[in-house]
Amino acid sequence: MDSITTAASVVAAGLAVGLGAIGPGIGQGSAAQGAVEGIARQPEAEGKIRGTLLLSFAFMESLTIYGLVVALVLLFANPFAG
Amino acid sequence: MLASTLLQPENDPPEGGDVLLEMHKETRSGASSDLSDNSSIQATQTSVDEYVQLQLRIYRTALLVSVFAVLLTGVFCGLHFSISLLVGAISGLLYLRLLARSVGRLGETTKSVGKAQLVVPVLLVLAASKLPQLDLIPSLLGFLLYKPSLILQLLLES
Repeated sequence: MDSITTAASVVAAGLAVGLGAIGPGIGQGSAAQGAVEGIARQPEAEGKIRGTLLLSFAFMESLTIYGLVVALVLLFANPFAG
Repeated sequence: MLASTLLQPENDPPEGGDVLLEMHKETRSGASSDLSDNSSIQATQTSVDEYVQLQLRIYRTALLVSVFAVLLTGVFCGLHFSISLLVGAISGLLYLRLLARSVGRLGETTKSVGKAQLVVPVLLVLAASKLPQLDLIPSLLGFLLYKPSLILQLLLES
């Protein structure tokens, strides 16, 4: 792998993780805030709130995972290394 | 003095009566607040059980989908692909378990959701890139096999 490809891969990996984590990070933060407030107001609805939070977190975090996978593939199994 | 207290009219009770009445009222309100506390604790416990049941339903569905997919790929795509899919599916279940634990702890011991579950896909991709027995694409597809169960639960709840 020549040096330009290596440098581009490393920069792309950083961008994939960094930019890909911004949106889900903000979303997870606001979701967690809302859930904690909801549990504090209505403790009897804790299970439902936590269940909804689990499902929404699983969907939100998959976006981060996609970025992470792209970054790891670029770093450890680069298809342009040939 | 005894006679004077006995002759006192009913609508003008002695001062001790007020104290007794207040104490009685306090006891009654204390008992009712105890009852409401107990019912709210019971409601919270039922709700927490609901969350545990939801988790179990998701795990069960994800396990069924994974077994079905592994068997299907074992028949049609070969053993190598099937083993990679199985490893990915197991790591997907592990990821989901860690995520559920993080969500369960939220608000009780921590104020933010933990990131320990993100170690699982990292280790999976590293293992798939280093080990010759594992392929990257089937492992990632296997990891995403928990998604159908989540979508199913969302559809069932709505």
